Amino acid sequence: MGRTPSSARDPLVALLLGKLNMDLFEELRDKFPLLVSAAQAPPQVSHNQVSIALRGPDVRPLAEHLQSAYQSRLVAVFAEDRVAAESVFYNYYVFEQPAEPCYLILQAPIAADQPRFPSLAAGLPAVNWQEREIQDWFGLEATGHPNPRRVALHDNWPDVHPLRKSFPLRQVLPPFEGERHVYRPTLGEGVFQIPVGPVHAGIIEPGHFNFAVAGEPILYLQLRMFYTHKGTEKLFEDMPIHRAVFLAESISGDSAFSHGTAFCQAIENASDTEVPQRARVMRTILLELERVCNHIGDIGAISTDVGFMVANAHASRLREMVVRLNEGLTGSRWLRGMVCVGGVRRTWSSAQRDLLRDTVNQVEREFDSLVALVQSSDSTRDRLEQTGILLPETAKVLGIVGVAGRASGVDLDVRRDHPYAAYERYPFQVPVYRAGDVLHRMLVRVDEVKQSFAILRAAADDLPEGPHCAPLQPVPPGRCALSAVEGWRGEILHWVRTADNNRLERCKIKDPSVNNWAAIVEAVQGNIVADFPVINKSFNLSYSGTDR
Amino acid sequence: MIAVFLTAVVQLLLLLTVAPLVGGLIKTLKARLQIRRGPGILQPYRDLLKLFRKGMVLPGTASWVFTATPYVVFAATAIAGLMIPMISAKAPLGLFGGVLAVVYLLGLGRFFLALAGLDTGSSFGGLGSSREMTIAALAEPAMMLAVFTVAIGANSTSLSEIAKVATSTTWHFLAPAQMLAFAAMFLVLIAETGRIPVDNPATHLELTMIHEAMILEYSGPYLGLIEWGASIKQLLLMTLLINAFLPFGLQSKWSLGGVLVSLAYLLLKLLVLAVSIVLVETTNAKMRFFRVPDLLAMAFTLAALGLVSTFLF
Repeated sequence: MGRTPSSARDPLVALLLGKLNMDLFEELRDKFPLLVSAAQAPPQVSHNQVSIALRGPDVRPLAEHLQSAYQSRLVAVFAEDRVAAESVFYNYYVFEQPAEPCYLILQAPIAADQPRFPSLAAGLPAVNWQEREIQDWFGLEATGHPNPRRVALHDNWPDVHPLRKSFPLRQVLPPFEGERHVYRPTLGEGVFQIPVGPVHAGIIEPGHFNFAVAGEPILYLQLRMFYTHKGTEKLFEDMPIHRAVFLAESISGDSAFSHGTAFCQAIENASDTEVPQRARVMRTILLELERVCNHIGDIGAISTDVGFMVANAHASRLREMVVRLNEGLTGSRWLRGMVCVGGVRRTWSSAQRDLLRDTVNQVEREFDSLVALVQSSDSTRDRLEQTGILLPETAKVLGIVGVAGRASGVDLDVRRDHPYAAYERYPFQVPVYRAGDVLHRMLVRVDEVKQSFAILRAAADDLPEGPHCAPLQPVPPGRCALSAVEGWRGEILHWVRTADNNRLERCKIKDPSVNNWAAIVEAVQGNIVADFPVINKSFNLSYSGTDR
Repeated sequence: MIAVFLTAVVQLLLLLTVAPLVGGLIKTLKARLQIRRGPGILQPYRDLLKLFRKGMVLPGTASWVFTATPYVVFAATAIAGLMIPMISAKAPLGLFGGVLAVVYLLGLGRFFLALAGLDTGSSFGGLGSSREMTIAALAEPAMMLAVFTVAIGANSTSLSEIAKVATSTTWHFLAPAQMLAFAAMFLVLIAETGRIPVDNPATHLELTMIHEAMILEYSGPYLGLIEWGASIKQLLLMTLLINAFLPFGLQSKWSLGGVLVSLAYLLLKLLVLAVSIVLVETTNAKMRFFRVPDLLAMAFTLAALGLVSTFLF
């Protein structure tokens, strides 16, 4: 495993990990001969990932074994249509092991004439929506799924499977006719239903929230998303890779740089492109600026939702300073158009580097006073503490990631666990709390912003000379690669399979919001309706990233 | 008779014209404390003008209650406004036990608002109405006790009488009873006018609203009437607080000079009160809804202590 960054740091660890992975493969091969072919050669590890081809669609025994023996986490489940080339669909199961930078990807074939696969959702609620997405997009039935209703195709979609290759991109669909989504009924004396959305007051994206309340306390919440589905994954299959970078940037507007970087990294992994050090450091800086900017905005927004407007005014001012720095460094306030396959589009002058240093120092100073302001307000603390608690056990079961996970004891951070860009050069702490309330989701943000300042300063001082972009090369066809980025919201995954003519055959995007909507449903239970907005804001999930 | 009529007209005009200004003043001051420029002090007038020019959308499920409510709210508030001493210690109207009538005229308006919130069958209206009544049921006793405290001092529940005694030399603002009742009334004012920490008048979050949730279905002139009525109620309560507890400058005769002097004092005191409301709103977050009863219980306790101490000191 010579290429894993932590192994570069510590040869002993490298040896251990290498052994673990090889042992793992051999063990799986011996234990599950029906699934892992005995004839199969040990898989090659590259770019922090190893892929094992399975012989059948039933991964349940493997998943259970990986979970119990290695405490593996199922990171993502997604499908691919290879019917034209191989007469099969593939389901991919991405696992990660604690303290192991290498992702384990299981590729499970599903025969085209038997379009069904056994569901894992009963034992692993984290994949509930993801398996249903596969059902909706590919028409592969998740057998044994406890709740197999539609999730991704909302009520105005007819019965189609848009991610199948046989579905033409520019098809005009007939109106939906059939049974509409049936919500769990709201019954009981004095129990009422409050439907909210999908169109909301204020400028936010569409999503339907169906509350059942007994007076003020919320009994349960039912969600419907995917109203802003734009067919992004399908669109990726229709454009040249270098234009697709812009599409990746618009998956979720507040994470433009993270999604862009995740996409570019996937292409770089697939084509074995070596990104120059300068570009890696610049990417690290911009990723951290995106984090700082959004976290500060969220701290202000949480304050607004409890009516503490002064803190929001202060936070907005700070965020504006960061956003202007973004503009000074990239020409875009939201860091668009900067990342490209092989590095970044433009390099920085020494004046831009000074601007970075000065702004970071100034914002850091003022950020401390913002934190002091919020923390000195008893009435704010009273609103945030014990509100919207997501228990660590629940968070773990639901596979919650990112800020929300770290506030509830889920110690995950892609920057540390699967280093990319230049993160291994800069030491930083990953804040983890177990209280899981709104206050601690805010504290995670506060701590992360402070860590980000340290990373930013170190990176600004350390910016190596050299090229800012690898020379452009054609991307070889038929390569698969995964890439992960810790966006400010959490773990972003992109998985690609390249095709001829510098195009993609499939691009899977996973935004952390997909996992985390389930957390909101849990966190609001027993809280009062009036506290829902602040609980929702403390997660601040992306509708666009969920719906794609 | 003509004189009474004239005083009523003057006071009514003042109520109608000054009320939006107070709202605009509070909004502008708040904006300044948030390093914003704000929409300008005259914005409420522009808003009202806009609303009265607009068309209306009436929910199909609404009954006569929905259409009657804006008029009831506006009329009840305006009549209540004529019963408080504003620019003279003698109010133009003094009916049915003075201050009691004021409290219950406001109660009538609120009753209709809550009904209208329920009338449309929208879940937000119901949510708002239930919250409003929860708060009202707690604010009203506190307000009554605070008012009784000053009424006992003046030996009358007539506001004109209270103001007259207040402007005379025997009045002691710094008496414990007065101070406690004043504090209670201030808390009630915050709750009744839907200000932070009780309600957030500036929020767009329909799930957190109280007053705004009840009137969510209103539009156009009806919404204008309700908004105007709400601003009159705010002015009325502020004036009541000012003139019952800090009556200095209030002239007891209706004359041009007297009215002008009283008006100048009134505006000055309103400004000071508006600033203190803004400071409370700016330095506090909105309370968790179920903590609001604690705040109003505090107001009630203060008022009760005030009432008791009228007999002790």
